[in-house]
Amino acid sequence: MKSLPDNLHWETAVLHGGREAAPGAGAAGAAIAQTAAFAYDTAAELEAVFAGRAAGFVYTRLGNPTVAQFERRLAALEGGRGAVACASGMAAISAAVLALAGAGDEVVAGRSLFGGTYALFNHTLRRCGITPRFVEATDVAAYRAALTDRTKAIFVETIGNPRLDVPDLAALARLAREHGVALVVDNTAATPALVRPQALGAALVVHSASKFLNGHGTALGGAIVDCGTFDWSGPRYPHLRPYFERARQLALLAYLRHQIGRDLGGCLAPFNAFLLSLGLETLAVRMERHCANAAQVADFLAAHPRVQELRYPGRAAHPDHAVAQRQFAGRYGALLTLRLADQAACFRFIDRLRLAQNLAHIGDTRTLVIHPASTICRDLTPDERRSVGVSDELVRLSVGLEHAPDLLRDLAQALAA
Amino acid sequence: MQVTINGASAAVSNGLTVAALLVEQKVKWADMVTVELNGVILDRAAFGSTVVQPQDRIEFLYFMGGGAAGPGPRAEVRRP
Repeated sequence: MKSLPDNLHWETAVLHGGREAAPGAGAAGAAIAQTAAFAYDTAAELEAVFAGRAAGFVYTRLGNPTVAQFERRLAALEGGRGAVACASGMAAISAAVLALAGAGDEVVAGRSLFGGTYALFNHTLRRCGITPRFVEATDVAAYRAALTDRTKAIFVETIGNPRLDVPDLAALARLAREHGVALVVDNTAATPALVRPQALGAALVVHSASKFLNGHGTALGGAIVDCGTFDWSGPRYPHLRPYFERARQLALLAYLRHQIGRDLGGCLAPFNAFLLSLGLETLAVRMERHCANAAQVADFLAAHPRVQELRYPGRAAHPDHAVAQRQFAGRYGALLTLRLADQAACFRFIDRLRLAQNLAHIGDTRTLVIHPASTICRDLTPDERRSVGVSDELVRLSVGLEHAPDLLRDLAQALAA
Repeated sequence: MQVTINGASAAVSNGLTVAALLVEQKVKWADMVTVELNGVILDRAAFGSTVVQPQDRIEFLYFMGGGAAGPGPRAEVRRP
């Protein structure tokens, strides 16, 4: 393959970089290594790969060329040192937390986490002895007050889903650094097209790659990116010390792959990795259109008499608008929520929409809609729903790539009496 | 000059830094390789300033493909 020019913008690099030549035929598309395991001619070769003394793959649970290509491309997009891909966003979040914390440890997290993450922290990880300390997601002082000598991570979402709050990542990174704690940022809703948490000091970035990174709603996947900003030899993480001795700055990536990934097995399927890689190639242009369409939809809904409240980080009325403006360079993502009179009004609105698909997902080419209280947040208690910003009157929209006037017309007819 | 790379004798250019050695040897996934020089794991920050000397013993250690550069299994493997 030809070598690429230096200093490419990420929008160019993601199209041309990270591809390895497919064997034979000069296929322009990436190859899919659809295999469980990798064969070697001699016992000595396989021994060398197992020993880590030769480059190669062993078994797809531990690594796969197609998956590795996606990992390298995403790590480059996030400006990170490297990435480990997982079967889903939840697999990535579980792996990230388990790589940092164990029984007796604590994680400080924003209270308005995505419902699935909230449940993971509050039930499954709590049962494993990892205690979540939930604080107001945008209150840096509250995070500071919740830190103890057992805290192993501060976990936040760049845009809380569905409360759409926007924490100040740089301020949280400073706090985390002061205490030698890893800041873990879920960048699913913003994507590296809007913000690189690495540049603001995050230690790890996690993704549900099923959403905007894939972008077409065709595959599940997740990933953890080591931003390369954090010293994994620090005293809070003695379990990483042996990995630091062997892998130095690659310690956390080695631990994720060799301990967590190997033991828990939540690996990304090669075909899904192919689809996710394909999605990355168009991320920049898709996010531009997502954000532009969402801004138009937000303006329309905010002015509509039946909409009691419109929440969108791009509007001046949003409490975190200033942080979002600074952090995302004037773009605000595709998610917005609206409050109608009651649950019945929400259901009528959803039923009448003809373009937006009613389903439990975000980040598709098509506009998506859902009533969170009766669906994705139905397992939460009323108090928990309030804390994640969900009420019976709330509808969430993930604005797609449609021609905006078509979307506005559909919204208008669905809101009409 | 002669060095030993992953147990095998190799001829490399004189005066190479470790970073340049990775390029000269066309080491795959060089950004994901850990380098052991004469039994000591190098900090990545030292790759650009550490100069390879004749008879050095160099190990490139991989883990991103599934190989075991981490602790544990590697210790059980006989060294060549």
